[in-house]
Amino acid sequence: MSVKPFYKPDVTPGVHGPKPRLARFRDLTLVPVIVLLLVVGAFTDPVFLTGGNISNILQQQASISLLVLAEAMILIAGKFDLSLESTVGTAPAIAVMLVIPAAAGGFGLGLPGALVIPLALLVGAAIGAFNGFLIIRFQLSAFIVTLAMLIIVHGLLLGPTEGKTLFQLPDSILYLGSVTWLGLPAAIWIAGVLFAVGIFVLGYTRAGRSLYAIGGNADAARAAGIRVHRVLFGVFVIGGMLAALAGILETGRLGAIGSNMGVGWIFMVFAAAVIGGVSMDGGKGTILGALTGVLVIGLVQNILTLKGVSGFWQPVVYGAIILIALMISRIAGGKAQD
Amino acid sequence: MKIGSLVASAALLTIVTACGTTGGGAPAAGAAGKVGIDHPRADSDFWNSYMKYVDQMATELKVDKLNPTNSQNDVSKLVSNVQALTGQGAKAIVMAPQDTGAIATTLQQLENKKIPVVSVDTRPDKGKVFMVVRADNRAYGTKACEFLGEKLGGKGKVVQLQGALGSINGRDRSEAFAECMKSKFPGITVFSEPTEWEGSKAASMLQTRLEQNPDIKGIYLHAGGVHLAPTLQVLKTKGLLVPPDDPKHVFVVSNDGIPQEFEAIRKGDIDATVSQPADLYAKYALFYAKAATEGKTFKAGPTDHDSTIIELPNGLEDQLPAPLVTKENVDDQKLWGNQVK
Repeated sequence: MSVKPFYKPDVTPGVHGPKPRLARFRDLTLVPVIVLLLVVGAFTDPVFLTGGNISNILQQQASISLLVLAEAMILIAGKFDLSLESTVGTAPAIAVMLVIPAAAGGFGLGLPGALVIPLALLVGAAIGAFNGFLIIRFQLSAFIVTLAMLIIVHGLLLGPTEGKTLFQLPDSILYLGSVTWLGLPAAIWIAGVLFAVGIFVLGYTRAGRSLYAIGGNADAARAAGIRVHRVLFGVFVIGGMLAALAGILETGRLGAIGSNMGVGWIFMVFAAAVIGGVSMDGGKGTILGALTGVLVIGLVQNILTLKGVSGFWQPVVYGAIILIALMISRIAGGKAQD
Repeated sequence: MKIGSLVASAALLTIVTACGTTGGGAPAAGAAGKVGIDHPRADSDFWNSYMKYVDQMATELKVDKLNPTNSQNDVSKLVSNVQALTGQGAKAIVMAPQDTGAIATTLQQLENKKIPVVSVDTRPDKGKVFMVVRADNRAYGTKACEFLGEKLGGKGKVVQLQGALGSINGRDRSEAFAECMKSKFPGITVFSEPTEWEGSKAASMLQTRLEQNPDIKGIYLHAGGVHLAPTLQVLKTKGLLVPPDDPKHVFVVSNDGIPQEFEAIRKGDIDATVSQPADLYAKYALFYAKAATEGKTFKAGPTDHDSTIIELPNGLEDQLPAPLVTKENVDDQKLWGNQVK
């Protein structure tokens, strides 16, 4: 489906639509950074470019990338969601507690183990729906609503578990995060497919394009006949579900749900989205760009570990590389960031 | 935007915790004076066990305690909690400052008010303390190093998954482990991974390191509560989770002594853990706090409970024993990890 021409001027000029050729490059301003990191990594350690290491990097970034996907959609629609990071831990934890026996730290309801993934997604969707309800229905500030929700949702993990790590998990929740499909961890396939869907939906469908219209100018979008509230509500619900899925993958990777799972991720998520070209003011950026942002962060982390940079200095190097990536994307993109 | 969010979240958290502390109950008046307790965090298995022991020991030792506060790993919250506790009439304070430098002014103020302080688990850099109750964290690192060094026969490669290097305990364990390896087992290469007590980082860093050095034969986990499950998961996917008599076995020493570590030792998944005595921490913290309100004093030297009190520039420190738990003694009922349900 293509964009309706009459609201096209509100959309980022030329990012998508029927003539994507030159505009495509703007999504890829981080590609030089990625190439540079690949070269640096190759010189740092012979292991770096091996299939095993690359697959590790992708697996390690799979769950946070789903958060970036969610946040990129929400930012493009001109809203904000900080609470995603808390959903990462809370959604799988609540789902697991509904299933496991009381002796293992659960609620003792004894629901079948196969339900744990649908339940986690449901919890994520519910959190997203509640955020959407407060922000859209009551017109509250998205920033403060989701900040409060970040605290509350994390509290909903600490409260029932009393801060204890959940060690005894049903096999069903461990499956996705730890299994290998066709030689690659399933998490990579899942994240890859979801990003492909995201790129397609936001680039080429009416519903996806309407996010840009809403983020660019909500009133104009409404005048153009877009059901702004319904679309935004849907975005928050999908965001919550993606965060829950990220939590499921992370749970499988770690083998337990600690009480601070996901805590502090949101800064990395914003960093990835913004260096990938997504605007904090809404209406600009692409899912592909956000994906390149995640890759940059994953590569930097991997190189720092391989190189064995001292723990005291890693944060400095890490932060500096994010800043440099931001500058390179500014120069390559040629447009002011906001 | 980010600074704004930090400030805003700090502000909101302060409001939330303030509500929590003022909502405390009204304790009965006691002759010896009330003891105010601040817990450092609510998100780790070790500290949650400690909190339970505090309640239990308070009854056993007949300590009249105010409702404990929780500073959630934030020194500014600790400061305001201490003010609230003294406002409620605490005659002694038990705290566990995770930031050992930034607490100095508060200790100074408490000294001026003649309120004795027992510091659990950490040793404040400056400011008067009545007693520090902690196990020797350097000894944890050394014990882990000696165990791994012997198992590996003095050669090969080991990884230590470090805690937060901003905390004295993380630093002590890291440094002692690395120094001991250097002096006693110079043939062993040590990789140090700064995980910040985060499971997610631990899994990624360990996975990457194993990819780079598939011949790693030993791992020291600074905190079993956060590092155990990710480590086992990484070893499992690599096919390295095999019994100790298999040549592919990777020797793992953990740190904390939680029940899950004991379970893993029994199954042969890991080989040892240093049991950090949560029960003794709680018991002696309250013991010294009560003694302080009764006007008792202590001197450096051996104690009646297998520990030694040492002299610090700013007070005394009771260094509690922290046993190494292996397959041989994992079923010892005296270990606190075997007592929690």
